Amino acid sequence: MSSAGTSNKPAPGHVSASGQLQQRRGLGDLIAKKPELVTLGLLIAICIAVAIANPAFLQPSTLIDIGRASVVTGLFALGVFVILAAGGIDVSFTAIAALTMYSITLLAINHAPNMPIYVVFLIAVAGGIALGVLNGFLVYTLRVPSLIVTIGTQYLFRGGLLAFVGTTWIMELPGQMGTFGRISLLEFETANGATVSLPVYFLILPAAAILTWWIMRRTLMGRAIFSLGGSPDVTARLGYNVKIVHLFVFGYAGALAGLAGIVHVTANRLANPFDLVGTEIAVIAAVVLGGARITGGTGSVIGTMLGVLLVVVVDNVLVMVGIPSTWQRVFVGAFILLAAAFFVTRQRKFKPAK
Amino acid sequence: MTQNTQKNRCFLELRNIHKRFGGVHALRGVDLSLEAGEVYHLLGENGCGKSTVIKIMAGAHPPSEGQIVLDGEVFNELTPIQSLDFGIETVYQDLSLIPNLSVMENVALGEQLVEGHGRLLRRIDRARMQQTATKALSQVGLDVTPELMSTIVSELPLATRQLVAIARAIACEARLVIMDEPTTSLTRREVENLIDVVSRLRSQNVAVLFVTHKLEECYRIGGHAIVFRDGQCVAQGPIESYSRADLAELMTGRQISEKRYREGSPSEDTLMSLSNFSMPGRFNDVGFDLRKGEVLGITGLSDSGRNELALAIAGIRPAASGTISINDKNIRIATASDSIDAGIAYVPEDRLSEGLFLSKSIYQNEVALILRKLAGFMGILDMKKGKEIAREISADMRLNTADIELPVSSLSGGNQQRVLIGRWLSINPEILVLHGPTVGVDVGSKDAIYQTIQKMAEDGLGLIIVSDDLPELLQNCDRILVMNAGEVVSDLNGASASEDDIYQAMLGSVQEGAA
Repeated sequence: MSSAGTSNKPAPGHVSASGQLQQRRGLGDLIAKKPELVTLGLLIAICIAVAIANPAFLQPSTLIDIGRASVVTGLFALGVFVILAAGGIDVSFTAIAALTMYSITLLAINHAPNMPIYVVFLIAVAGGIALGVLNGFLVYTLRVPSLIVTIGTQYLFRGGLLAFVGTTWIMELPGQMGTFGRISLLEFETANGATVSLPVYFLILPAAAILTWWIMRRTLMGRAIFSLGGSPDVTARLGYNVKIVHLFVFGYAGALAGLAGIVHVTANRLANPFDLVGTEIAVIAAVVLGGARITGGTGSVIGTMLGVLLVVVVDNVLVMVGIPSTWQRVFVGAFILLAAAFFVTRQRKFKPAK
Repeated sequence: MTQNTQKNRCFLELRNIHKRFGGVHALRGVDLSLEAGEVYHLLGENGCGKSTVIKIMAGAHPPSEGQIVLDGEVFNELTPIQSLDFGIETVYQDLSLIPNLSVMENVALGEQLVEGHGRLLRRIDRARMQQTATKALSQVGLDVTPELMSTIVSELPLATRQLVAIARAIACEARLVIMDEPTTSLTRREVENLIDVVSRLRSQNVAVLFVTHKLEECYRIGGHAIVFRDGQCVAQGPIESYSRADLAELMTGRQISEKRYREGSPSEDTLMSLSNFSMPGRFNDVGFDLRKGEVLGITGLSDSGRNELALAIAGIRPAASGTISINDKNIRIATASDSIDAGIAYVPEDRLSEGLFLSKSIYQNEVALILRKLAGFMGILDMKKGKEIAREISADMRLNTADIELPVSSLSGGNQQRVLIGRWLSINPEILVLHGPTVGVDVGSKDAIYQTIQKMAEDGLGLIIVSDDLPELLQNCDRILVMNAGEVVSDLNGASASEDDIYQAMLGSVQEGAA
C-alpha cells in the first residue's frame, strides 16, 4: 500500500486493455462467469483515482475507517445475497435490526443490565431469526412475491417498534453493550497523532462471510437455495423441501440483521429507534453491484463483499477528494447503471455465440 | 429388495387413479402395473394424460382419487422425495435441470439429497458427487472433462442437456426410470447410445418407462406398449403384437394409415436455384433446384450441416458464399428480412422459443408479420381486418378452435405449430422452409400438418422440409436430399426410397471418415 504500489497499478490495467482487443471472447467469457471482476475493477479504479487526487488516502487509518463502516452494511448484504440467490428479495431487514436492537437495549436496561455481551448477541440473533422466519412463512404460504410481503412486514416491524416499544433515544447503554464497541483489535497512530483503532466487532463480518460462503458452496442447503432461484418448480420436483428453504433464507437474513443491529448500537453507543430503516436500497445496490442478479440464482459472497466495499468507499472517501457528500448518491447510482448495463450487454453478446 | 422383486415382480401398481385439474378430468381411472426389468412404452396423443400419470408416479402431483402401491405398501399420494427414495427416477420432457447449477451438481446432487431423506443441512461430499457424475455422464456417452462437469447447464446445447438429464436419472440406484420424450433433440448416434443404456438398465433389473411419439424407436427397443386415450388406458401388451396402424388407431380412436401423403407432382418451372452455397466448417458447395409445387426434404445427422443450411436460406445465419436465385433472378440474402422480402418463409424448429408468443392470442400471433400492412392512419391497426385474416388462416390451418382470442399456450403442440405455419402464410411466401415441422406433435396433429403441407404444394408453393423424421420425409416429399459432413451426398426419390436407403446415406461417409 505504498506509493510504489500505486504506480504499479495502472500497468496491469493497460495489459488487460490490450488483452481485451486480442481475445475479447476470453475476457468477456471470464466476466460473464465472474461478474465480481467488474466490481473489483471499479473499486481499484476509484482507489487509484482518489489516491492520485489526495495521497492522504493511502494510510492505514483509511482502511480501518472503511473496515469499520463496512460491518453493518456487510452483514445486511450477506443476508440480502442469500435471499436474492433464492430468487426473493427482502426490504424488511433494517426494520428487523431496528426492532431487535432497540428492544434488547430496553430489556437490558430494565431487567438485566449486567447481561454478558454474548447473551445480547444470542438474543438478537434469535429475535432476528423469529422475525425472518415469519417473512419466509408468509412468502411461502401466501405465495405473494417477497417484495410485497417484506414491504408489509417492514412497516409492521417498524410501526410496532415505534408504537409499542419506544421512540426515545437511549444514550446510556447498559454494561457490556456500552463497552464492547470500544474494545479494539488493532491500533494505529495517524499522521496528525490521533489513534484510530479497528474494533473487535469488525471480526463478525469476515466470520459471517465465511459461514455464508460455506453454507452456499458446501452444503445441500446452499445448492437448494441456488436451485430455488434458478427454477422453483423444478427444485420442488427434484425433491427439495421448498418450504424449509424459504424459512431458512429469510431466517438466516433475519439472524444477520439482528446481529447487525447490535453491532450498530455498540458501535455508535446509542440506541436510536429511527436508525437503519431507509438504508435497504443502498444494501441491495451493493449486492447487485457485486454481480448478483435481481432475478435470482446467481451471485457470490466475494462479489457481495466487493459490492459492499464499493458502496462504503464511495460513501467515505469521495469527501477526501473534495466531492461533496451530496454527490455520493449520484456516483452510486451511476455505478449501478454502469455495472447493470455492462452485465446485460455481456449476456446479450454471448447468447448467439453459444 | 432382490428377494422382494423375485417373489413379486410387480413392484409398482396404480389402482383406479383419477386426476382432476379444475374442471378438466385428466385421468379417468387408470390401472397399471409395472414389473422389474421390463421396458414399457407409454403412447398416446398430446393431452391424453401421459404426462399426468408420470407426474403422479414421480410425486409431483397427488392423484385426486385412487392408490399407488409400491412393493405392496399402499399410498394415497407420493412426495417427490418418497418417490425418489423408492428408486423412481424421471427424465422430464422439459428436462427439469436446474439452469444455474453445474452439470456435475445437476447429475449427482440428488443422490445425496435422497440419502438424507431430504434433509438439507448436510455437507456435500464433493468427491463422491464427482465420482457419481463421471460414471453417469460417461454411460450416456458424453465425453467427461472437467470443463463439462463445471459448465453451467444453461450454457449447454439442447442435445447435451437432454443427455445430462438422462445421466441424472441413471446416476442413482434406480428401480424405475421414466423417460418423457428423451430423444426429441438427439441425433441417431445418441439415440443408439440411449438404447444401449436402456438394455443395460434392463439387465440390472431396472424397469424403464418410455413416453414417446417416435414409434420406430419403440419397435427397435421392444417391450410392452401401454396406450392412453382421453385419460384412460385403452390397450396394454407386447409392442410387437401391434402394427403402426393399430397403435395410431388406438391412440386417436380413428384410422390413420401410413399412406403417402404426397399425391401431386411438381410443375416444370424452377422456383429457386441454389449453387455453390458454402459456409466454412458447416456446409460446402451445396446446390439444388426447387420447383414450383415441389416438396423437397433435407435430412442428415444433426451435425451434417442441414440445420445451418436451413438457417442460411432463411437469412438468419447467412452463407459465406454461393448464389441463390428465385424465378431466375439473383438475390442476396444477408439478413432474415432479405429472405422474407424474397418470398422465403422459415418456420423454426423450436417453436416455443423462436416463434410463438405463448401468452398472446391466436389472433395476435397470426398477424404478427403483417402488422405494417394492417396499420392505417397514424399507425393505428385495423383490428377488424386483422381478425378477418386471422380467422381465415385458422380455418385454412384447421385449428381445433374457431376462437382466435384464445392464448396460444392453451393449444396443443400440433395446433401451435399450425398457428406458426399460418402466420408465415399471411405474407404469401413462394417458398416455405419447415424445420422439424412435427417435432413433439402427436399423431392426429401430424396428419393435419401433412395435409396442410400437401395443400400448400398444390397451391404452387415450393416447400423444403428439414427433418430427421424419416417416415415424415418419405410420406411427404418428391425428393429427399441427404447431407453428410456438410455436403449433399444423395438425392433420393421420395416415392421409391426406403428408410434404409436414407439411413445408409446419412451414415455412409461417417464410417468412411472413421476408417
